[in-house]
Amino acid sequence: MRFLLPVFLTLCAFAQQPTEQAKPAAAKPEAQPATPAAATEAAAAAAPAKADDKSASPAPSAESWITGYVDVGYRWVTDVRGNFQQYRSVVNLGEGPKLFGFDFTLQDPKKRLYDTLTLRGIGWGGDPYSTAFLGARKMKAYDIRFDYRNIAYFNAVPTYANPLQPGGFNQRTFDTRRRDASFELDLFPGSRFIPYVAYDRNSGHGRGIETWVLGASDQFPLPYGLSDRTESYRGGVRIELNRFHATLEQGGTRFSQDDSTNYTGPNAGDRTTPINGQTINLGSLYQSLRIRGTSKYSRILLTGRPANWLNVYGQFLYSEPKNDIDYTEIATGRLYDFTSTNFFPGLYNIAEGNAIQPHVSGNAGVEIRWKRLRVLESLTTDRQHDSAFGLFVPQVYQQFLTAPSSTTAPKQVIKYNQIETNVFFDLTSKLTIRGGHRYYRGDVSVLAGNLSQVGPSVAGETNRQVGLAGLTYRPSLKLSFNADYEGASSDRIYVLTSLNEYHKARARAKWQATGSLLFQANFRILDNQNPAPDIRFDFRSRDASASVFWTPAAAKRFSFTGEYDRSSMSSDIRYLDLPFLTPATSSYRDIAHTATTAMDIALPGIKGAKLTAGGSLFISRGSRPTRYYQPLGRLALPLHKNLSWNTEWQYYGFGEQFYLFEGFRTHIFMTGLRLSR
Amino acid sequence: MFWPNSRHRQLLTSPLLAVLALATTATIAWGAQEKPGAPAQPAAAAETKPADTKPTFVGSTTCQGCHEDIFNAFQKNPHQVVETDKKRGFENNSCESCHGAGSKHAESMTAADIVNPSKQKPAATDKICLTCHLNQPTHVGRINSSHAKNQVSCTSCHAIHKNGPHGLVARKPADVNKQCATCHSDIWASFQKPYRHRLPEGAMSCVDCHNPHGTILARQLQTVQANEPGCINCHGDKRGPFVFEHAPVKMEGCQSCHQPHGSSNPRMLTRSQVRFVCLECHANLPTPTAPLNGTIGTVPPALHDLRSPRFQECTTCHQKVHGSYVNRDFFK
Repeated sequence: MRFLLPVFLTLCAFAQQPTEQAKPAAAKPEAQPATPAAATEAAAAAAPAKADDKSASPAPSAESWITGYVDVGYRWVTDVRGNFQQYRSVVNLGEGPKLFGFDFTLQDPKKRLYDTLTLRGIGWGGDPYSTAFLGARKMKAYDIRFDYRNIAYFNAVPTYANPLQPGGFNQRTFDTRRRDASFELDLFPGSRFIPYVAYDRNSGHGRGIETWVLGASDQFPLPYGLSDRTESYRGGVRIELNRFHATLEQGGTRFSQDDSTNYTGPNAGDRTTPINGQTINLGSLYQSLRIRGTSKYSRILLTGRPANWLNVYGQFLYSEPKNDIDYTEIATGRLYDFTSTNFFPGLYNIAEGNAIQPHVSGNAGVEIRWKRLRVLESLTTDRQHDSAFGLFVPQVYQQFLTAPSSTTAPKQVIKYNQIETNVFFDLTSKLTIRGGHRYYRGDVSVLAGNLSQVGPSVAGETNRQVGLAGLTYRPSLKLSFNADYEGASSDRIYVLTSLNEYHKARARAKWQATGSLLFQANFRILDNQNPAPDIRFDFRSRDASASVFWTPAAAKRFSFTGEYDRSSMSSDIRYLDLPFLTPATSSYRDIAHTATTAMDIALPGIKGAKLTAGGSLFISRGSRPTRYYQPLGRLALPLHKNLSWNTEWQYYGFGEQFYLFEGFRTHIFMTGLRLSR
Repeated sequence: MFWPNSRHRQLLTSPLLAVLALATTATIAWGAQEKPGAPAQPAAAAETKPADTKPTFVGSTTCQGCHEDIFNAFQKNPHQVVETDKKRGFENNSCESCHGAGSKHAESMTAADIVNPSKQKPAATDKICLTCHLNQPTHVGRINSSHAKNQVSCTSCHAIHKNGPHGLVARKPADVNKQCATCHSDIWASFQKPYRHRLPEGAMSCVDCHNPHGTILARQLQTVQANEPGCINCHGDKRGPFVFEHAPVKMEGCQSCHQPHGSSNPRMLTRSQVRFVCLECHANLPTPTAPLNGTIGTVPPALHDLRSPRFQECTTCHQKVHGSYVNRDFFK
């Protein structure tokens, strides 16, 4: 029933008599050519000046006070063959009546309360992702934006928990929803002083399965409820003057998290095979984790142009989140302590703590232009200091003796500084080259592992010199080529897989063959090595893609978009395999082919009728060979001036060579009506 | 009444406050001065046309004579404020604010006599746009932006003349994604993988995570709550601060374990099985003493028999790998 209200309201809106105006020439979103914006731009650029102007301004001479559409209908999901939990983890579309989407723009010709009001959304009626947006703007008075999203996050992938037990119980399953709402209000947009306020709310709630771990020996999977919420408030003023700009913002957050478990009964982790003549079972568990946090933060942003040849940039960011922790755990049953080889009837743990993390960031830079030369220079610094305190009071029911309380005060400090210079030179009117250098220096001090022999904390450093180069070549308006390269050498790094001795390159080419035909190709590579004898880390990833956009006759009859991508990743790193510290190499390979296509055909004989075919396929081989097909077909038939009938079919097919039990396939049909204005 | 004692009155009238007020007023007055050369010499005009006789402004109504469709469209365009707002310095000359003074073009009617930003070098095009838009918060990270470094001009994404409330740039998530994918087709391919963020469905857009104008963070990642990475905007429970931090989360970022665009591995992990993600750092290799080529985290916290399936999925027990409030081993 939830979707009926917006439908009803929409129909009421349509029932109103609009002020007299003609129907806009280019109002329908579906009538827009499929050509991407950049392609349109390029086509426009390639055309003579007059044509350029026309293509860039599809303006109606008169406008309706309301334009937009609403899509309502019904979705059927055929029996999902294969693993239904996997289907929910990947696709998760459901059956039933749906409000597939709506998008309205209201324009008040008299500009009384607003100039423009926008309302749009997708996926209402129980879909795994629902969004809504409301925006209203009145020139020089206000600008309001409200955005809402509700995204389901279901995950019960069998192989994630245990690749060797296909029917196994997934101990890392959860079924949650995350909701995000944000509200922003700018006052007097377009003026020199723009005060603004904003409120953001991010929350998650749902259920999941977690493991209760007893020592290093026993584990008991348990259902638990999770709930977290972050509310963020901010306000400030933007001062936008001709010579400089400053934004001064002050904000704060409130954070809360409540995870709880209340479980009684037999458990999958119970040991029914006697050990020392007795079985092990968890009779009941009550667990509560309660976090409350606050934060304050400040932002100062600056830009300026002191002279025509000089732009300056700067920002100062500061945040200081704090959290207070309250944890209680009570377990009863027949539990076993492997260390003392004793059975005991239960335990409880209480923990309290707090953590604070002042975080300061700053960035300053200049841009200098002098004839054909341009220099970008920037300096960045970042400092995060975590400090925490924890008090832990464990008590074992065995003989009701309280174990000694313990306290801890871990600290973590992460700092880095970076300075980067880029010099651009226009070698010719069509060729610009770039060269530069980046120096990155970082220091960290983090809590050491339990078995660390070097003390309670361990220090790390990163020291990296990076050479930068690039070029942009535009021999004509129809052809452009861009390439950039980074090559680095590090003498200190944080972790084994950090960027060390690496080369990174990207190249892009774009060719507007005709006014309606655009080709594009991309290539990128990252090669990262750590040749230290013990490590021998060797990482390489490559990606090459090509795409074509064909929109003959401004896509009135036919348009085609096709993309193909081949990516490969290989990684080898040495490690010592437990329990005997056997030397081994962890190798990962992934060679993937991806293709996406969309083809729109205007059906002859029926004005406005359109057939769409396309979809995507993904095929990979290597460490986790996977196939994922999503072909799509859609038919839109106009029934009336403002009404069309849409039908869509989509197939989802998922399979993994090594984990056949995770495969699924299903057909999804949708049919519905689109009311447009 | 509001200043009950003499001390407050003294403060109000103190020389220091007077100097501060004067300095603030002077700074704002200086900042509010018309830009050098504007409107008599806009950036666009100075950029390309050192003509024999300096062209002069002819006004937008003159442009309307030949370019009426654009002129009509412009009336609903956000840039229309340039036409009417005195403080911007181009009142009644909004066309020429970007295209430069148009008297020569009006006489000759040839395209060569007018500046067309979309046909200029990207840096020159950007300079025209930044004449007005530099002094806005959007561009504070521009200097770090790979778009700026790779000569991607403003007009690559923004359609300047386009009519309507959404005219200048795509706003709907699906449209934003389509626009970004035009150039970043390799990234868009990642979103066709089974485990991904919900971009193809239109529930999210590229600009939810990336700021195309540039930010203080690498990869043009959005910043939220002052200086946190954009991931925290939706995954607020991963922010902390935790009593026991997992250092790579803050040191190297989420992408040290996750492929944020999409992956064929569950949970968008970088490796096909969890233990191989963990073993890349917790490799049990002897730890060189930092900082001599030292790396941290190589020694594991316990000696598990990795041949046993129960120990192969590390996060079954070490659940709180993003950081734990109560357990050093991330059990809870």
